[in-house]
Amino acid sequence: MKRLPLMKAWYTVICALLAACTLHAQAPPPVASEAGYTPVLSGTFGYINNVDAGAPALEPQIETVLLVPFGSHVLLESRAEFFGFFTRQNQTSGPFIGKVFKSVDYAQVDWLANTHVIATAGAFLLPFGLYNERLAPLWIRNLQDTPITDAVGTRPNGIADGIMLRGNARETQTYSIQYSAYFSARSNINQLEASRLAGGDASIFIKAARLEVGESFQHTLQEKEINSSGTYVSWQPERVPLNLKAEFDRTFNGEGYWIEPAFQLSQVPVATSFFKHVQVVPRLQQFHPLNGGGNSLPTKNTQRFDIGLNYYFRDNMRFISSYGRQFRQQADANVWNVGFTYRFIWPLWPGRK
Amino acid sequence: MSRRTLAALWFAALPLLLFPVLLCAGTGGGNPKPGPAATKQNEGERLFEMNCSRCHMPPMSISPRTTGTILMHMRTRARLSREDEQALLKFMAP
Repeated sequence: MKRLPLMKAWYTVICALLAACTLHAQAPPPVASEAGYTPVLSGTFGYINNVDAGAPALEPQIETVLLVPFGSHVLLESRAEFFGFFTRQNQTSGPFIGKVFKSVDYAQVDWLANTHVIATAGAFLLPFGLYNERLAPLWIRNLQDTPITDAVGTRPNGIADGIMLRGNARETQTYSIQYSAYFSARSNINQLEASRLAGGDASIFIKAARLEVGESFQHTLQEKEINSSGTYVSWQPERVPLNLKAEFDRTFNGEGYWIEPAFQLSQVPVATSFFKHVQVVPRLQQFHPLNGGGNSLPTKNTQRFDIGLNYYFRDNMRFISSYGRQFRQQADANVWNVGFTYRFIWPLWPGRK
Repeated sequence: MSRRTLAALWFAALPLLLFPVLLCAGTGGGNPKPGPAATKQNEGERLFEMNCSRCHMPPMSISPRTTGTILMHMRTRARLSREDEQALLKFMAP
């Protein structure tokens, strides 16, 4: 699609969404509640011992999320990451050497106008597929290694510098429809590098089935003007302790999918008090390069199977472990991960307890 | 490894992946969660379980003084409606 028709289509969609919002916006009366709106520092401590193709690495990590509300409609939020990466001097022998990397993952201001419109400005995580925005935090991801196709729609570093409109387009007793639409300017600012691009995401959530199906689309407005798309499914059936996530992504450099059914063993009939804290997570993924691959994606056909075993001491503290086998021409490898994650939420201001 | 071999492996692995689901569904489970129709669950509790688990383990406890802020963050991330936010506020910090 040429740039002008694309921009016209883009503006038409935005105008239609805003018109719908104006027609439907009916803020409910505020509910009496003891909820406080104090600034919050949240985040995760994590430590991973990784062995990739026989080479061990120690990876201590801290992710911090700062949330500063201004009333109940404006929120300033930012995430910073401290990531240590220490490997043996001679890959498999010698002392561990390395460094700690620091990065700002995003910094944005949200205006929660009403049900249908949340306006975001700044450097925000790209809402492409399931992973980048929703599953990437250290304490959420079931397997520590990201899917191969995580690079699709999230280059160069997972954020957009610009504006985004998002919200709940329609909500009924049986389903809800969510949308995101964004534009990003090109930026070379240190830590906030972004491409010039436009994109969107829409999903429908079927409440009774707890099934979500969504589609992401992105068009870069620079250089090759690449189109990227992602189709995803998320399902948490009520009667079975399963959390199924799957996604298929396609871009100029390749296409691939991953499927990850996470099982909580709470229905094992023996030693229930132990097994209800245990989670088993297999993940299967395949990637096929197109046009030579690259751009943070493999250049050869790649398949990978992982299986993880996690134990939740509490909802915010868990032991994690996984084994993965990667199949790639002349680069087959075993990948092991063992470690723990701990999530914290600290109020930064005294208030009601 | 050829595509055909991988496809065969995939089809072989699929039943293995889904086996625990079938097992749990077949036995009826040791302690299945009641459906929404079976109990008069609080609307906020139902929303809490339904929406939080779409991405992560529902948190067991959050200090009331931070609940409003956390829910603003979650409403932005999960694109929740204002009605749902209000019901969750009522449930988490009554």
